[in-house]
Parts: sequence; structure tokens; C-alpha cells
Amino acid sequence: MWRLNKVRHKAGRQCDSLEALKLKRREHEKALRQARRDRQLVSKRLLLNDDEDLPQVTMDTNSGEQDVVSLFLKLQHSGPEREAHLRTLSKVLRDPSAQLTFIKQENSMHLLVGFLTGSDATCRLQAVRCLHELSHSSHTNVSPACLPATPYLLTYLSGQSTKFTELCLYTLGNLCPDSDIVKEKLLAQGIIPALANCLENQSHNLAVVEAVGFTLSQFLQAKDAAEKIILAVLDSSLPSNLLSVLYPDPKFGLAPAIECAWCLHYLTCSMKDNRVLLAHGALLQCSSLIVSLGSAVAEGNKEEGMELFICPLLRCMGNLLSSCPGNDLSTQVGDVGIVVALCALLQAYLQTQPALARESAWVLNNLTAHSSAFCSALLDLNLVPGLIQLLPFSQGINTMILRILANIAHKKKEFCAQLAHRGLLSALCATLKMADQEMVTLSMDVLYMLVVSGPQVAEEFVRQGGLSLLEAIQYSSEGEIRRRATHLLEDQLVSYSSYCSDNNPCSSGNREASHVQL
Amino acid sequence: MLQPELVPLDEDCSSGRGGEEEEEEGNPFIFTPQLIHLHRDHELFEDGDIHRHLYLQDLYVSGAEDQPALRVSEFACHISGCSAAFVSLEEYEHHYNSLHRNVCCSCRRSLPSARLLDLHLQEWHDSLFAILALRQDMYQCLVEGCGQKFRTSTLRKDHLIRIHMYPPDFRFDKTKKETRTRQTKKRPQKDTDMEVVDDVCESEGVCEVMCDMPSNQPELGDTMETQAGEEEAARMAKSASPEEHVHLPAAAPSSENTSTVPPRPRYTYRIPATVCFGHSSVRGFRGGRGKRK
Repeated sequence: MWRLNKVRHKAGRQCDSLEALKLKRREHEKALRQARRDRQLVSKRLLLNDDEDLPQVTMDTNSGEQDVVSLFLKLQHSGPEREAHLRTLSKVLRDPSAQLTFIKQENSMHLLVGFLTGSDATCRLQAVRCLHELSHSSHTNVSPACLPATPYLLTYLSGQSTKFTELCLYTLGNLCPDSDIVKEKLLAQGIIPALANCLENQSHNLAVVEAVGFTLSQFLQAKDAAEKIILAVLDSSLPSNLLSVLYPDPKFGLAPAIECAWCLHYLTCSMKDNRVLLAHGALLQCSSLIVSLGSAVAEGNKEEGMELFICPLLRCMGNLLSSCPGNDLSTQVGDVGIVVALCALLQAYLQTQPALARESAWVLNNLTAHSSAFCSALLDLNLVPGLIQLLPFSQGINTMILRILANIAHKKKEFCAQLAHRGLLSALCATLKMADQEMVTLSMDVLYMLVVSGPQVAEEFVRQGGLSLLEAIQYSSEGEIRRRATHLLEDQLVSYSSYCSDNNPCSSGNREASHVQL
Repeated sequence: MLQPELVPLDEDCSSGRGGEEEEEEGNPFIFTPQLIHLHRDHELFEDGDIHRHLYLQDLYVSGAEDQPALRVSEFACHISGCSAAFVSLEEYEHHYNSLHRNVCCSCRRSLPSARLLDLHLQEWHDSLFAILALRQDMYQCLVEGCGQKFRTSTLRKDHLIRIHMYPPDFRFDKTKKETRTRQTKKRPQKDTDMEVVDDVCESEGVCEVMCDMPSNQPELGDTMETQAGEEEAARMAKSASPEEHVHLPAAAPSSENTSTVPPRPRYTYRIPATVCFGHSSVRGFRGGRGKRK
């Protein structure tokens, strides 16, 4: 992938066989899921040196520690070899135990900061590289040790040197999640305005943009200071600048847009009221991006990693929609072609990434909830049969799809007739038999709307054997479901109860007589 | 499960439906379109978050095989007390048609076909039949198309064995012997358990049918006739397939329902009022019990 060769995480460092890699990934995934459940999901990024294309072999720990100590001693004496020593130190500091050894040395950070702020530019670069390696440590007591360097790192964000700025940014982003003290200090030292300025001034420099996005996203994911941070961010120039760099670059790739999209997602999902972002045109932009992505996907142009970009965009759109006043919808979203894109995404990712399909369906729900125009579009553009075909799929997909169809039915009786005409009735005869109670209840609600919309629909339902189905449902253990079935049979379909269902053909009508008398 | 956060609706978001349909008395249908806002930690976001962090940690592979697989909803039998689950609609239909469709409410037997149910109703629960049988040949041959009738069930059985080569122990033609009176306690206490019908005949493999029929149906005479003092008799339950294992305890299904209000019985035209489609407990159903999700 585009930038992954440059930006790495230690987890990916080892060069293993395919099987081993798969196994490692699976284990990692499990660990990540557990971390998410504990709300401890954090990641760090390591920016590789330009000459480092291959993953490093882990060094022998003993020599690493000894090297640190000896290097530290050497660095305390000034001399022309300082630069070389610093370079070596930065390589040595990739080793976790060397990191710990380093911070245990007295005045080690003071020394580094000295180089960081000194007059030798190359030494500055090497010093920041050392700090970057330290920031990537998984030991939580390494980050607080780096605190003395942070004000300078922040100051350098307004500088012009790309590589240097990148390193500062990723270092800050790595330091953020480790402790609340670090976070507090960084916020107090003005990291949000610094990031805003950096993005504003360097929006042409996509490597920097990616780094800003990553660092900002680290802060936005913070559990507790969410309100404070997010309000500060919304107040700054960040929202508009994030939106402006949301377009994928053909040469550089998706990476900067991915980071910025995730920032926007963290912003929209944390706030119930997204007025600020709506005012910046966020919904319109997300919507148009999804339209172009949807058509690309429909044509089969699935760029690698596109789902990493589509996912946060969908989420932004979904949550922005929930804050968007109904009468404003068309101006905020653009034309109804968005529903085509969403359905395309649904179909395209159903098998490979069902979660993405589910999120697309969620956005469609929010679009159709209060808009006749979007409901009508789904019907007119003949997207409903495709949706109906998704009703077998569980884990939240079919419930969301059924909600969409219910939204449509809820709008107008004419829509109900159209839905019935496109096969929803027979689909409901199947969904009413599902084990998922939510599906059954929702199916009954939809059925009710269809049946009351007109006698033809009710007749068709009866013709499909609906009466005996409802009779069986009356014996459900769920009261809610029983009530609905009874209501339908007694109030809505009572005039049809003399009809025969498919399984009890009218032709054996003499049976009744045979019971009564002989 | 998804818990939608209700977002207050705009006043002018009224849909095409008039307000009069929203607030019908006793209308149990409550669906209204809802805007759903998902907060950061929502479970719906889990998979996407994991992919995001796998990417950050340099472990993301587009289209990897170990993506969570797409799953298909199961089907489950509705009948309260029956917790069978199925992978396909066909399985469900077969289950329902085999075990719940032709059920005699009086004695809670499930019969394999409508015709056998009819015969059962006549011969066991129809007092008029009993009277007429004293003077006429009333017991019909079980083989469709044969049309012969016999004075007693024994004679019919002989006929079945001699003419139609049926086995002597054909499961769907057992004579009604003396049944012991069933006590309420023996049946599982369930909320939908209503009028206890004393003439319930216990048998293996019978699907226990919970009937909530109103007690006295004057039109069709009494089921009371066949009560107390009768023993368990014919095994008219289950299908005729030989591999079906028959020995099943007719004991308690797990009590799953929470409501105390049983529905009024609904009848299709061909079922006399004393019979309804019942709840069943399915024990040892072919293929084993699925877990209802």
C-alpha cells in the first residue's frame, strides 16, 4: 500500500511466512477486539527512515542496553562524532529494553532536548528520531519521560522541514494515548491550535497532512477529555481544513484522506449536535465523495484499502444525518443519486465486509427516515428488489434493511402498493418465520402498514397463505408478537378469514359437513 | 443488538400518513421511522474500528480471508414451547407441517395428515360418531380410496392387515384403550396453559399442545365423553417414517413464555371448534433441537 512502506508499526516488522503472518494477524485482531471492549483501543505509528525499506531484525537485547549506556556516555562529551552517535542511538532505541535503559539514565532526556534545540540541524533531526523511537514504546512509563521535549516539538510544528515536522507530529501522536498527564500537558501547551496551524499552512504537503490527521485522531479518541478537546477542535480552523483535504490524491494515495476522515468521524460520533460541521458543508462533501466512491466500486474499481476511507465517510454521513433537520436534507445531501451509491456499496461489500454493508444500510435508514424524496428514489430507481434480497442476512443487516423498507412504507399508501408489487409480501412471509424476534416484530409492523394500505395488498397476502402463518404466530411466546398477529387477524384481515389458504384447498369443503352429521 | 438513539423529530417532518393512524386505540403497531445516531463505542462500529487499527498497526490486508463471515438468519418455530430452530425455510415448513399443523386440541396429538386428523376427531372426540357407530359401520379404512367401513376398529385393523398388508403395530391405528385420568400437575405449568382437558391421552412422542379453547363448545358435543377412565391409546403422533425414534418423554418443554394472556384460538374452516392448532413441545425432533437465538 502507498505509505505503509514508510510508516510502520512494530507489529508488522517481522518478515514472516504467509501462514505465520495470518496467524499473527488473527491473534492481533482478537487482542484488538478485547481492547476495544475495554475501551483501550490505541495504536501508534512508526515512521521509518528513508533508507529503511526492509523490516528490521530485532537486535540482541543485551548489546542494545550496553550500547545505550555507552552511547549516552559518549554523547555527553561534545565532539564531531555526536551526529554519528545520535544516529546510532536512534537505531538502538528501537529495542524496547534499550528504551527503558535510556530513560533510566540520569539526565538522558535533558541531553536529548539539548540536541533537539541546539544549533546543529542534523543533530536536531537525529534527536527527534530518538524521541520518535521512544514515543513508540509500549511501556507506559516511557512517554512521561519524554515530556520535557514536548513544548519544542510543538514549536517545531510551524517549521518548514517536511521530514522533521512529520517526526514531530508522529511523536506527539504516539505520546498522547499513554497517560492522562501527557495528554493534559499537551493540551495545555496548545497542541490543538498548533495542529490547526500546521494543517492550514501545510495542506499542500500530503505527508504532513497525513501526520496531522493521525495525531489529531489520537486526541479525538481520548475517552474523557472528549468534550473539551472536541469543542476546541470545532472552534478552530480544523474542520474546514480537514474537509478540504478529504479528496484522495492520485499520486500520493488515500492515506491523508483516510486520517482526516477518521478525525471527522470521531468528531461526528461524539456530538449529538453537529451543527458546526453541517455548516461547513460536511454532509454535502461526504455525500458527494460517497457518490464517486460508490460508482467506482460499482464499476469494479476497488482500490486497495478503499474501505478504510469509505468506512469513516459512511459514519460521518450517518451521524451528520441524524443531526440534520428534515427540511434541510436536500440542500445538505445533494441529489438523490446518493441512494444508488449506497446500494452499490451494500452489494459490493456484503460478502467481504458485512460490517461496511451494515453501515451503508444504516445511512440509508437515516436518509429515508424523514424524506419522501429518498424513499421515492429507492422505488423509482428500482433499488428495492435488491434490498429485499438482503433480508436473509443476519447480524444487523436484515433488521436495518427492514427499517429502510418500513420507512418507505410509512410515507404513503402508494409506496406500500409498490413495495408489495416488488415482492415484499412474500419476503415478509419468510421473515415472519425467523428466529430473531426483532425481525419478526418489525416484519409485523411492516405487514400492518402494507395490509392497511389497500385491499389488493391484503388479498395478495391472504393468497400467499398469510392467514395460516399469522394463526401460527399467535402461539408465539412473545406477547408483542401475539398481539400483533391477533390484531391483524381480527381487525384487518377478518373479512378474508373465509378464504382458503393454499394448504387447505376449498375443494374439500365437504369435510365440514362430515363432522357435523353423518 | 442495535439500540437506536431516538432523535427528536422535526415538527414539519410529518409523513404522508395522517395522524389518525398513529394513535389508534389498542393498536400494537408502533413502528415509526427513526434517525439513528451511533456513538463511538457502539458495537456496530466494532469491525470497522478493528480494521482501522489493524491498518495503523501495519497488519491490514484488503480482502483477507479471516474477515467475519456473512451469516444468514435462522428460522425458528413460533409455537410457544417449541424451541426448534432451522437453517432453511424448507426445514421450518417441514417441521411445522409435520408437527403443528394437524393437531387435535382435545388430546394434543399431532397427526401426520389432515385426513388422519379428521378420522381421529371423529373416532375419538365425536359423541355423535360414537352413537352412530353402535348401529352402522363407521370406522373408515385408513387407506385413501378404499372407502370401506367397519363396525369396530378391530375389524378395520384386520382389514388393514389382511388386505392392505399393514403391519399389526401400525402406529396410526391404535385403539383407544382406557386412559388414566391426567392430572394438571403432570403437565408443565405454563402461562398459556388454560382449560385442562381431562381426556388427554398420554403417549410417547406426542406433541404437547396447549389449548386455550373456551371450555364448552355446545355445537359439537363434548369431549367430556371421552374422559376419565380412559387409558392412553393410539400413538397417532409423529410421522410414519420408520427411522423416527419414537420413544420420547412427553414431559415438560421449557417454559419460555412470559405473558399470561393466551390468544383466542383461530380456526380455519375445516377445523371444528374444539380443535385448534396448538403449541407443541418437540422433543427429539429429527435433527435435534436447534438453539433459538
